[in-house]
Amino acid sequence: MVLDRLGDSLKTSIKKLLGSALVDEKLVEEIIKDIQRALIQADVDVKLVYKLSNSIRKEIKGAKKGFSKKEQVVEVVYNSLVRLVGTKGVKIQPKGKGFTILLVGLFGSGKTTTAAKLAKFYMKRGYRVALLGLDTFRPAAMEQLEQLGMSINATVFVKKGEKKADKVVKEFAKELKKFDIVIADSAGRDALDKELVKEIKGVNKMLNPQETLLVMPADIGQNAKAQAQAFSDALKVSGVVVTRMDGTAKGGGALTSCAVTRTPVKLIGVGEKVEDIEEFEPKRFISRLLGMGDLETLLERAKESFDEEKAEDLAKKMVSGKFNLIDLREQLEGVSKMGSLSKLTSMIPGFGTAKLPKGALEVQEEKLKMFKIVMDSMTKEELERPEIINSVRIERIAGGSGTTVKDVKELLTQYRQMRKLMKGMSSGKMKKFMKQFGIKDMRDLERLM
Amino acid sequence: MFGSLKKKLKESIRVFSRKVEQAPEEVVDAPKDEEIPKVVPDSGKKVEKVSIIRRVKKRVVEKKLSASDLESIFKPLELSLLESGVAFEVIARVRKELESQMVNKPIKRGKTESIVNKALENAFVSVLMRPEVPSFKKKPTVIMFVGVNGAGKTTSLAKFCNWLKKRKKSCVLAASDTFRAASIEQLEKHAAKLGVRVIKHDYGSDAAAVAYDAVEHARSKGIDVVLIDTAGRSHADVNLMDELKKIKRVAKPDYIFFVGDALVGNDAVEQAESFNEAVGIDFSMLAKADVDQKGGAILSVAYVTKKPILFLGTGQGYDDLEVFDKDKILKRIF
Repeated sequence: MVLDRLGDSLKTSIKKLLGSALVDEKLVEEIIKDIQRALIQADVDVKLVYKLSNSIRKEIKGAKKGFSKKEQVVEVVYNSLVRLVGTKGVKIQPKGKGFTILLVGLFGSGKTTTAAKLAKFYMKRGYRVALLGLDTFRPAAMEQLEQLGMSINATVFVKKGEKKADKVVKEFAKELKKFDIVIADSAGRDALDKELVKEIKGVNKMLNPQETLLVMPADIGQNAKAQAQAFSDALKVSGVVVTRMDGTAKGGGALTSCAVTRTPVKLIGVGEKVEDIEEFEPKRFISRLLGMGDLETLLERAKESFDEEKAEDLAKKMVSGKFNLIDLREQLEGVSKMGSLSKLTSMIPGFGTAKLPKGALEVQEEKLKMFKIVMDSMTKEELERPEIINSVRIERIAGGSGTTVKDVKELLTQYRQMRKLMKGMSSGKMKKFMKQFGIKDMRDLERLM
Repeated sequence: MFGSLKKKLKESIRVFSRKVEQAPEEVVDAPKDEEIPKVVPDSGKKVEKVSIIRRVKKRVVEKKLSASDLESIFKPLELSLLESGVAFEVIARVRKELESQMVNKPIKRGKTESIVNKALENAFVSVLMRPEVPSFKKKPTVIMFVGVNGAGKTTSLAKFCNWLKKRKKSCVLAASDTFRAASIEQLEKHAAKLGVRVIKHDYGSDAAAVAYDAVEHARSKGIDVVLIDTAGRSHADVNLMDELKKIKRVAKPDYIFFVGDALVGNDAVEQAESFNEAVGIDFSMLAKADVDQKGGAILSVAYVTKKPILFLGTGQGYDDLEVFDKDKILKRIF
């Protein structure tokens, strides 16, 4: 993939810099050039890229005195980029009754899906949420919101057949006040179209939302600037939602939108299911934008999915070599809770650009699923003491789980290899291995496993 | 949509040409006999012309450009192409084209601008093919629409159905997007307005089976064209791309239309490439071309798929479908 190659190039020049004895100007220029390329390829507005790289150059050169640490160069680069999307992840904090969030954006940017995701996000956190359908133009937009609402048990207000969005607002105004949060889904529009802008302005005035979020797809190109500018001129945009971050696009257009609207990214959409939404963390976003790993997210996800105590227990067992299939199953379950493997690996530094053949991760994921099925057909005794599993048992397990003898054997081989690895790890090798993956101590590893 | 690209290109061509013209002049001998390329015998006229030049053996004032000269001159041009959202790879091709035509080749005084123009036009022309609109003679002609989420597949399909109807072709629509909420209703609403039938199953059902049923329906009723609306999918999702391959296997479409979003930037390359690899694209349609001020995605998609662009979506109405006209587009650029 093109972008991965660019991330590699940037990484190489940063590595070169870290390896060299002196901060040399040529290397700095090389890094700046790589950053420019990476950002332009990620669809960041070209002018913005040049503005940014100039300020990076200035900062590095200005700080030359006492600039002994090469790491500082990397930091300057990193911080300059983070500054672009806002230095702190700003969270939406709904207060009181009828807290209204209006979603606006281009055609097909993902407003309706985002509305449902947001509703689910807040419902999980205990809020009473209502969805309001204001896309009176696109055929079946109302039905879409209705069906999505139904799937997450949210209350949906739509008026089918109504042509005017402001009339919909008027009709439900009273009822909407009873909810903690109202999420309004507007029609997709070209912000440079005067008629369409007039409509959204009218709706905005009646609705008077606390948050107006501009929904921008991650793959939008150089058009992002003009559109963001036009939306920002018409409405008081308070934040950006980046959708389709699960694709190969890096979200540079969203970055441009932030710069234009002078607002941070608040949420990102990472998949097509209703739960695929994340609060925005600028540092993580930048890491991904540049194709560099993202350990922070990984650690956080691992923490959510794993019971700390269990993890500690597991780690002890692993190191002592007393590691049975029950532990392996727990581990696998933990991994699947953390998300898909491909999502996970993109967060591990050094793994993001690993040269894995296309589809390798999916195959691995399928295998993990199969392993779990095999283990479900084992007796408690077999899980605790895998060494008792003989060929007769293997055949029974394969039959019971609807898999093949080969599958069961593969699982056992994997288990044995893992146990061996764990044993070996209790020695010095482990430390080396962990260092390679940027893991500081055992605790980090537990979380990772 | 190409307005800004046109303006910027003009600007950079001017700067570019000025720099070439200002490059140090070099007095060179007219080509010696053995350097003159051999002319194929049957183009007799050219032989004569060459021989005249040879006889005159005049010393002419010419310029030569080195690769590094071009590199520094190419920069502003590259920038304007980037700003127009043209993908890196397409730009690389333009550069190559310019290199082969300008580096170490004698350039006559005052001719630079037209040479650059020509080189650029060549670079673009070679990626923008003239579409040959399918004849729809085969009954039924099956067309499958593919693309990422929110590109505009369903709307484009409805517009295309309208276009076919105006050409007296009967259509049936297959609601093979069984994933997205209300996608079937959306297609049904379009169908009701256009007066065509939709073949549908329930949500979550097998998309390939829906497509198959629609083709069977068309066959038994003698309908001309089957339009299959598939679910939008991330090109990076292997399972979803496999599903698309399955629909193709079952429905055996005659043509696969890739619906791209004209607003997409560099990812257009990745998207078009992935779909092309997975199922093979026959034609592209670019939606939201009216919103696009840059035109970069059009060039990128054409370049990557090496397949013609058939239509541009240019608005929200059924008639807002423009048959892609290469010459018109080129005229807008140059």
